[in-house]
Amino acid sequence: MISWFEAIGIRVERLCLQVGIYPMLLLQVIQRLSRPPWFFSNILSQCEKVGVQSLPVVLLTAISTGMVLALQSWVGFHRFGAESMVSTVVSLSMVRELGPVLVGLMVAGRVGASFSAELGTMRVSEQIDALWTLSTDPIRYLIIPRVIAATLMMPLLVILADVIGIFGGYLVSVLVLNQNPQVYIEHATQFLELQDLYSGLLKAFVFGGIIGLVSCREGFYCKGGAQGVGIATTRAVVLSAISILIADYFLTIWIFQ
Amino acid sequence: MRDAKIQVCHLSKQFDDKIILDDVNLKVMPGESHIVIGLSGTGKSVLLKCILGLLQADSGEVLVDGEEWCCLSESERLKRMRNIGMVFQGSALFDSLPVWKNVAFVLRRQGMKKKEARDRAQEVLEKVGLPNACDKMPAELSGGMAKRVGLARAICHRPSIIFYDEPLSGLDPVMSDVITHLMRELHEEMQVTSLTIAHNMKLVRAFGDQVSMLYQGRIHLQTPGSELDSQDDPIFRQFIEGRANGPLDTNNLIIKGESK
Repeated sequence: MISWFEAIGIRVERLCLQVGIYPMLLLQVIQRLSRPPWFFSNILSQCEKVGVQSLPVVLLTAISTGMVLALQSWVGFHRFGAESMVSTVVSLSMVRELGPVLVGLMVAGRVGASFSAELGTMRVSEQIDALWTLSTDPIRYLIIPRVIAATLMMPLLVILADVIGIFGGYLVSVLVLNQNPQVYIEHATQFLELQDLYSGLLKAFVFGGIIGLVSCREGFYCKGGAQGVGIATTRAVVLSAISILIADYFLTIWIFQ
Repeated sequence: MRDAKIQVCHLSKQFDDKIILDDVNLKVMPGESHIVIGLSGTGKSVLLKCILGLLQADSGEVLVDGEEWCCLSESERLKRMRNIGMVFQGSALFDSLPVWKNVAFVLRRQGMKKKEARDRAQEVLEKVGLPNACDKMPAELSGGMAKRVGLARAICHRPSIIFYDEPLSGLDPVMSDVITHLMRELHEEMQVTSLTIAHNMKLVRAFGDQVSMLYQGRIHLQTPGSELDSQDDPIFRQFIEGRANGPLDTNNLIIKGESK
């Protein structure tokens, strides 16, 4: 009986340690942000990696989502003669929900995997230890630029994805479903409020932070050789995606209130 | 009597139930080249990492220049690291930076101008026999070249202590000899204190002022490098002669607990 409790205790302790390391890392990042050095060149190069290099995949996702959403919602609205509301559904869905979540998931796959694999390889090849011996704090040099880049670039990517998604809906509505372009644009903007945009951007900001923190943590503390890097990379993508979905639900509840 | 440059007192470290270091005591005097030898898996690299603070020891003290390192905050320890150079077993060069930026990493961090840092890196690279490697990327280097770049990076900021973690591993005999001579030359020229982890007896004989043998978590024996062959200890003799048969327990390197 005691060993049974002991086993549960060990598992709970492990779980607490695994979960608790994220707020600890966030705290370390915030503490370090207040004092130099800030490694601006690293931040810029990571912004380029997260922002510019993610554009193709993000825009492709956005345009296809906007197009499909227009087609699907047209089928529904056509049944009770409200086809003109297609653009409202596309714009509201993209800005409030689909833009941030889909971009978050795509960036988690692309950038999260890259962060984790890069830091994991640096860990197993002792490059992170080498940074310590070269009197450089690896959290400042490696983690902070990545977390900042992911957090700042996500809202920008989401703004672009929103615009392109709504444009994808426009293409389908006007060219395939023969809707009036003027009506599409009017209805797309008429029911869109500034709060919708803010809520989408807030989600993007939080998701960016999650991706940066989770993937850096997985890579930075990775153990073992090539296998360890592989496990860390998979965990980074899966945990980022799950965390984004959970955070999305709670943020939506909070925004609704 | 002079104070030790590096002093390790009663250092212990274990991973789960495996005791790796058990009450290790070691003194490295200023200007001395001290080599720690021992079988693979005896915890030599763990000892080095504990001294550098890359691993936290379970108990014991590490004094560098008389200062207790274990009690220092991270930022304080990072400041002290400017006084230290480290050559890693696998070189640990930064893949994303060209050779000169690897070598001049600390100088650039200390605020040295780009041109000045590059010139200094070039000077050190010439010293280690790589005058044309400045703009190469680490992926373009052979194992021997990467080791020399690692050495250049460790000495570029003129540290007073250099740590070497198996500096000859993976090198052919000729390149091993080249690196050994280079280490000896740099040691004499720069008058640094060095602590080396090694298996290679040729390196030990050529470079070791003092030699300590780590066995079953403890310093089993310490001797001046010049008296290696006059030691009678059977375990030590078996190791330096590289014999398979003898009292050395090669199956039970970890003192207590199961090896996983």
